[in-house]
Amino acid sequence: MAEAIQKKLKAEVEKYTQMQKDVSKSMSARQKLETQLAENNIVKEELDLLDTTNTVFKLIGPVLVKQDLDEAKATVTKRLEYINGEIQRYETLLKDLEKKSEQHREVLSSLQQEYQRAQGLAVGKV
Amino acid sequence: MAEKGKMNVEHLDGVVRLREEHQKVVKDCESRILHWNKVSGDYEALNDRLKTLPDQLSYDIMVPFGPLAFMPGKLVHTNEVTALLGDNWFAKCSAKQAQKIVDHRMKYVKSELNDLSKTVKNFEARVGLVKDLETISSSKGDYVDIREDTGNGDIAVTKGQQRIAHKPNSKPKLDAVLDLKEGEENEGEGGDGGSRKGTSTEEELWARLDELEKLEEQQDERDRLSYNADMNGEDTSSFSSEEEKEGDAAPPVNGLSLKPSWTSAPHSKAPPSSDRKAEEDDDEEEEGSCLPTIFFSHTIEPKKVRINTGKNTMFKFSERKEQKEHSKRKKKNGHNNGLSHHELHKITTPVDIYRLFVDVKNGEPVPRKSILKSRSRENSVCSDTSESSAADFEERRMIGRSFSHDDTTHSDTSDGITEEESPTAVPLHPDSRFEAFSGTVVEKDPMPSAVPHLTIAPPALPTILERKQEEVAPDVAPPQQAPKRVSKFKAARLQQM
Repeated sequence: MAEAIQKKLKAEVEKYTQMQKDVSKSMSARQKLETQLAENNIVKEELDLLDTTNTVFKLIGPVLVKQDLDEAKATVTKRLEYINGEIQRYETLLKDLEKKSEQHREVLSSLQQEYQRAQGLAVGKV
Repeated sequence: MAEKGKMNVEHLDGVVRLREEHQKVVKDCESRILHWNKVSGDYEALNDRLKTLPDQLSYDIMVPFGPLAFMPGKLVHTNEVTALLGDNWFAKCSAKQAQKIVDHRMKYVKSELNDLSKTVKNFEARVGLVKDLETISSSKGDYVDIREDTGNGDIAVTKGQQRIAHKPNSKPKLDAVLDLKEGEENEGEGGDGGSRKGTSTEEELWARLDELEKLEEQQDERDRLSYNADMNGEDTSSFSSEEEKEGDAAPPVNGLSLKPSWTSAPHSKAPPSSDRKAEEDDDEEEEGSCLPTIFFSHTIEPKKVRINTGKNTMFKFSERKEQKEHSKRKKKNGHNNGLSHHELHKITTPVDIYRLFVDVKNGEPVPRKSILKSRSRENSVCSDTSESSAADFEERRMIGRSFSHDDTTHSDTSDGITEEESPTAVPLHPDSRFEAFSGTVVEKDPMPSAVPHLTIAPPALPTILERKQEEVAPDVAPPQQAPKRVSKFKAARLQQM
């Protein structure tokens, strides 16, 4: 009886750790996105500071590619929007993961209790 | 004290951990601030460089050649600067424009720095607080956390339970007793207004019951003493003397105010009420038998009560509470057969009630099969003992009513009264009672004399109908007067009596 519970417990623990990993992954991804968002905001503002006389380059690999200022601005804006959307998506994902992990936590705790009880019984029997 | 120490330790642990967490945050913030400060410094330097760069057309410099070598070279196009805007975006701009960009960046850096410093301040304050808390809980510092050892740990959990619910109807005396009791449990918190309503009410009741039981026990002890002493001797005299003793001992508290608290603590009131009843009893001799007559001072007029003793003896009897009567009867019975019934008076469980309802046959107490049913008819010697169920109760009511209707002058009032009184029309118990008191009481009173009492307080009510109801045994008028207050249990008992 105790062994069965133990197995169950192990399985549950693994699942839970997996969930936790997913959660942390999503968290880090979201953080990255946030930094990118900040950066792109700055770029946008700085591009606004410039005028058409300045050439704008984009670094693609080892190559600096000339870009139009307006194009650059548009690109940056689009990127900003994209980043925002990604952040939203990650947020929802994170919430779901959190909920699931909570459920798992509860299951785990109940299983743990059972296991302890079984252990206690086994000890008592012995 | 151990609990406090334990709590302290727990508290301390939590506090320590909290402090540690706070410190972590503070450290993190500090490192970030350092970083930003560095960045800010770099930008400052950059700004300076950009300012001075366009001063000259070209500069002779040592150009870095790989990670280890330098080469002499010239720096040309001093005004042209390719600035990294971020996210792999570059912009060629003049020095001044570059400066603008740098300024803009500086703004951002400064804002970040500000946020961080605010956070640091916040957490530093928290850390200070936690430190103080730590010292307090460990009782090291000058400040001491004032704590009362009254189960403080339970406050959060049982915040609303440590108060006593003071019932509005509860008597002050008993309340005081209850408060004392509760106060012992919860020091200082027992006396507050009740929020522990439900449970405390019951507890209150039970406490009161216990109190009254104790009182009754004391009195019964005395009774028993006197009983035993007088058992062999004369009945009447001993009984009356016993009554006197009882009268002395009986607490006057529950005297006339029994009714209101009847429902709340019916049984507990019984003994004291019975005592009081005894107290009221006169030493008047019985009529036609060797049993004493019972008079109750709380009734205006002594009623003639025919007790179904099998001898058609009449007793003056008026009783407010059935319990009184019961206990009285039991006393008498006990008087006759040598049993001390004081225990019977103490009703704490339904079993006790059943104990009370014993048929005394030939001196032996025979427990009745059902207290709801009246005694068998064959034993009845009284003339009117035929009804034995609640159904007949109604009949009696009708009879009573018809009787009362005969009274022309006061028909209206009597009607009202009969309605009240009719419940008291309890069928007699046709028991062959050769003992002093069968337990059945038939109240009889001449109608006219009873009518004036209609308007008087409840005790007078029973008197009216009795006359008319010769065959009826209106047992306990008072309980019936306030039917609301009388439990149907008692009413059933009334029928039995």
